[in-house]
Amino acid sequence: MTAAAIEVEDVSFSYGEVEAVKGISFDVAPGEILGFLGPNGAGKSTTIKILTGQLPPKSGRARVLGTDVTTDDPVMQAQIGVCFEEKNLYESMSGRENLRFFASLFGIRDVDTEVLLRRVGLADRAGDRVAKYSKGMRQRLMMARTLVNTPKVLFLDEPTDGLDPVSSQAIRALINQEAERGAAVLLTTHDMHEADELSDRVAFINDGRLHAIDTPENLKLEHGKRSVKVRIRDGERVTEQTVSLEDAAAGEELKAAVSAAGLMTIHTEEATLESIFIEMTGRGLEG
Amino acid sequence: MTRPVSRARIIGAIVRKDVAEYGRDRLWAFLTLMVLVVAVALYWVLPDDVDESIGVGVSGLDPAALTGLESAEAEGLALVGFAAADDLEAVVAGDADAWSINGDAVVIGHDAGIAPPDGAEQRNVSIGLAFPVDFLAATTEGRRTEVIVYLDAGVPDEIRFAASGLVRELAFAVAGAGLPVSTSDPDQVFVVLGEDRVGDQVTARESFRPIFVFLILLMEMFVMASLIAKELQDRTVTAVLVTPATVGDVLTAKGIAGALSGMAQAVVVLVAIDSLSPQPLLILTLVLLGAVMISGTAMLAGSTGKDFMSTLFYGMVYMIPLMIPAFAALFPGTASAWIRALPSYPLVDGLVDVGTYGAGWGDTLGELGALVAWCVALFAAGWVVLKRKVRTL
Repeated sequence: MTAAAIEVEDVSFSYGEVEAVKGISFDVAPGEILGFLGPNGAGKSTTIKILTGQLPPKSGRARVLGTDVTTDDPVMQAQIGVCFEEKNLYESMSGRENLRFFASLFGIRDVDTEVLLRRVGLADRAGDRVAKYSKGMRQRLMMARTLVNTPKVLFLDEPTDGLDPVSSQAIRALINQEAERGAAVLLTTHDMHEADELSDRVAFINDGRLHAIDTPENLKLEHGKRSVKVRIRDGERVTEQTVSLEDAAAGEELKAAVSAAGLMTIHTEEATLESIFIEMTGRGLEG
Repeated sequence: MTRPVSRARIIGAIVRKDVAEYGRDRLWAFLTLMVLVVAVALYWVLPDDVDESIGVGVSGLDPAALTGLESAEAEGLALVGFAAADDLEAVVAGDADAWSINGDAVVIGHDAGIAPPDGAEQRNVSIGLAFPVDFLAATTEGRRTEVIVYLDAGVPDEIRFAASGLVRELAFAVAGAGLPVSTSDPDQVFVVLGEDRVGDQVTARESFRPIFVFLILLMEMFVMASLIAKELQDRTVTAVLVTPATVGDVLTAKGIAGALSGMAQAVVVLVAIDSLSPQPLLILTLVLLGAVMISGTAMLAGSTGKDFMSTLFYGMVYMIPLMIPAFAALFPGTASAWIRALPSYPLVDGLVDVGTYGAGWGDTLGELGALVAWCVALFAAGWVVLKRKVRTL
């Protein structure tokens, strides 16, 4: 069995009196993408800060690549990549210079910035100062910076937040490539489509607690209600019928509906991660 | 197994980045260059000599009577004869200028709009002695008479006493009598401790020298504080701290970048104003320690400021007390105890002692020790505050 790249055991953290993370436990295997799904203020970013050594956990234990995150181990830190929610780039420096500087912090002298910038579609703007970059370009540069040391573990905090569909798609493709390479990815997002599309497993976090962690399919099967919606024309009138697949008589009902003379459309209806999240936490993802 | 990156390489990378960022900040680059140019230009514009004589205007006496007063000249009193007491009063009051040509004084009022005669030399007159026209007769007849002494408002007390003595001396000289001084008066032996600057007084250039050097270091404080505040505000420092770089690496790099930058600029100014002699190594050591101390102060100011304006504000809060010793150096005499307690005092005092009075390593051990102590204290304070700030981002 492959050892987990990220191991979190009963970790808690408080900002003063406010408990931001309340005894969460999970792990992420190499090559796996774990989507951390939750609304703003749920504890996603705090969890990433704990795992990257920016905040010490109040209790519990967290390890990345087998190293306790509180040890500030430079060897461990040389093998992780962090993409922050805020665009913390050096604006007076060019995209290329930003990458070179961060590569030098990892002791990498011969970093191929052109390849990295090409991967995020910024090769033609490599020499421009970041101050001249658009929001999407900055986010893509943030991703390139995250990959500058070919990390074994990626912490991505809302990497597509506020981006246009094209930029978002490019970054999602990059995340998939990294997971295929073998990197463990912890991805925080409040975009359920993104989590569904990218994640091997998703974890629902709300109010600092983990409510569920499983594959999107299992969550939908376990917590969602499967049904089929059938529309039938009867003369001038169009009727809509929903057949629940959970019922014992579902087979007969569906058969009758499909055999109807005026059958217009049949749609299967699946639960979404968002509807399951709301059902489990009583709170929407945009909050 | 991944090998850890050496601390030196990480610190070197951050220093290079900081220096590059510094150079690209157009506002600070412009201000720094401007301060450098202005400081150097101002230094060379300042007078390089000191007129040690005090101009004394005399009216009501025969000019011939003044020529015999060699003792007055020897005491640094430059006597100028005036035709009328009114002219003398106007010149001392600053309402007119006195010009000397062929031994005669020409007085021209500021409102007159008349150019001075060709070849005339302007005379500064701080004290005026207006003798009455019957002074000689009154003196010889033993009648009491009155001499009006005009004094410039800025003339210190001791000069007023000297003026009083001069009146007596002139009175005796005019009357053809000797001074009533007994030969039994004790001999006076003057022993000057340190370099005797009589005839070689500290010039304005020399007085301002530590101010210029310190001004450059203070400018550096603003630049570093601004860069630190920006790094905290943009949270780029958090991106650095999730790499193998530690808080200690970042702070060390900031200290090195600030000290190097301040030192380099101070050296440029010292070379440009020809002030690295007579003890270049000692002067450079003092400046380096000053630059380190200023870097620590920049960390404090940068940690407390949140944006450009607040950094500027906190920079001023730190700058004002640090500037006081530099200005105190302009005025001779011993600085007050509270000024001596300021962190910048040993730096300024050391620069004055070495640059102006030719002090050596042994003479400045006290200043060097105090400066090292302040460096450690301010750098440590800056380190702690900045580290705390970084941790709470």
